[in-house]
Amino acid sequence: MSARVDGSGPRLRVDPVACDGIGMCAHVAPRLVGVDSWGYPVVDGSPLDRRSARSAAAAVSSCPRRALFLEGPAES
Amino acid sequence: MSRLPRPLSADGRSFDALNRHDRTADPAADHIGLPGALPEGEGLLGARVDYDAHSPVRLSGPEAHSLADHRRRFGPRPSAAGTAADTLLDTLDRIRLAGRGGAHFPAAVKWRAALSAGGGGTVVANAAEGEPASAKDAALLQHRTHLVLDGLACAAEAIGADRAVVWLHAGAHSTHRALTRALAERRSAGLRDPHVELVTGPDAYLSGESSAIIRALSGGPTLPTFRRVPAARSGIGGRPALVHNVETLARVALAARTGADDHRDSTLVTVVSDGRRTVLELDPATTVAQALAVAAVPAGAAGRTVGAGLPPEQRHAPLRAVHDPVSGTAGEPQAILLGGYGGGWLPWDQAADLRLEHRALREAGTGLGAGILAVLPAGVCGLQQTALIADYLAGSGARQCGPCLFGLRDVADLMLDLAAGRAGRSDVRRLERFAGEIEGRGGCHHPDGVVRLVRTALDTFADHVDEHLRQGRCLLPEARLPFPVPPGPQA
Repeated sequence: MSARVDGSGPRLRVDPVACDGIGMCAHVAPRLVGVDSWGYPVVDGSPLDRRSARSAAAAVSSCPRRALFLEGPAES
Repeated sequence: MSRLPRPLSADGRSFDALNRHDRTADPAADHIGLPGALPEGEGLLGARVDYDAHSPVRLSGPEAHSLADHRRRFGPRPSAAGTAADTLLDTLDRIRLAGRGGAHFPAAVKWRAALSAGGGGTVVANAAEGEPASAKDAALLQHRTHLVLDGLACAAEAIGADRAVVWLHAGAHSTHRALTRALAERRSAGLRDPHVELVTGPDAYLSGESSAIIRALSGGPTLPTFRRVPAARSGIGGRPALVHNVETLARVALAARTGADDHRDSTLVTVVSDGRRTVLELDPATTVAQALAVAAVPAGAAGRTVGAGLPPEQRHAPLRAVHDPVSGTAGEPQAILLGGYGGGWLPWDQAADLRLEHRALREAGTGLGAGILAVLPAGVCGLQQTALIADYLAGSGARQCGPCLFGLRDVADLMLDLAAGRAGRSDVRRLERFAGEIEGRGGCHHPDGVVRLVRTALDTFADHVDEHLRQGRCLLPEARLPFPVPPGPQA
């Protein structure tokens, strides 16, 4: 995944309680979101560079359960 | 691993003789020179407490402290308001008080987070001891009730809380009675205490999970939540919510009196062995083997555990034999489950000489969790035991997140197959893969505990796993399971 060199980018996180495993995120951002054996998203939580952060933001807004979120500094 | 010379007790008998329950000689010598236990009357609890392994029945223990006893033993509770709060915070830093519910989070860090968010809010004494193997919180709540309530009052004063709560299981009747009596005593004595609410939650394993408590006290269901902001900053109604294990609070109450300089550290453990859950207060330098030896002295010696009778080198000598319920003789245990059901197995030869200090255990890749040492005797199938615990835990989850709802069920089913000899090598590989997929991804830490239990079982009982795979069944004789496993799902 696209870890930013200075480690200061936002991180993509999942609220596992809110998540229902619908899977939109993995379709929208397949490079950032994997799927486990039961169809639930797997993210690695590393700091994202600008391009990945845009893709992550798309995944966040695609979630019908609002279960994904970006943590840390917002991309300027 | 070092093997110290076999120590003799003060009357010249070997400790192995003590461990074989050889009580024919001098019964008064039972308690002499046993290493590890704090001298009677010191520390939080002052004596051991024995419970049945499979029920809440108390077999023996010290008398409950009335308010008068409590004040005679510990003195009045110092205030923790105003500048006293700073002093107390400093003391908690210096004695490095960490949460004793299992997470070992520094208490002072929680308090500072609450204070930096403006203080106020809620402080909760978490008396819901969900772990079936544990009894140390019940022991404190029933025998040293006022010490716990003192700690709650100190915490509430220090962060300026508007609400102080004791949270407990609805079915914890003895504990509820002890608390009701103690609160009435404090009211009639006119103590300057914050008002304390007793709030009960469902008798479920996860009712003691801190985010579940906060959710329940906010008016929601008693189920864990995923917190994007720490509860110590914004927990209930946007105000700080601190949840402390009752032992942590009892230690706050003690530290408020002694300060850091006169502080004496101890470890409260529940040893599950021989059909008993024995709560012991030990010197943190005590080893696992010594803790078991202290617990092996039967209940008749309750209240007389003494560690001061021997020179220090003998106090720390290893003591190994425990009663083996299968063969009926004294023998070395097979393995220890450290930290309880969400904890980890260790083979006896790796566990025996470990000291009960958080840091030493963490370096050894393990931990005491909420202070549990559960003994698996030789001749009992560790895989079957693990499968039953995993099955219980899978049924006790909140069933809110994917890893809990699907992952734990699959892991428990594979573990049951392996225990019954129905599993093949590919199933073991699946079990390992599922464990890796679940780890760190639950809504709370419950799924991680199951992963730890299962992974350490596959390591600790690796040879026996091979036997199950080769033979298609377990060759060990059936035996009564030594650990309490409550029936059915509790969620």
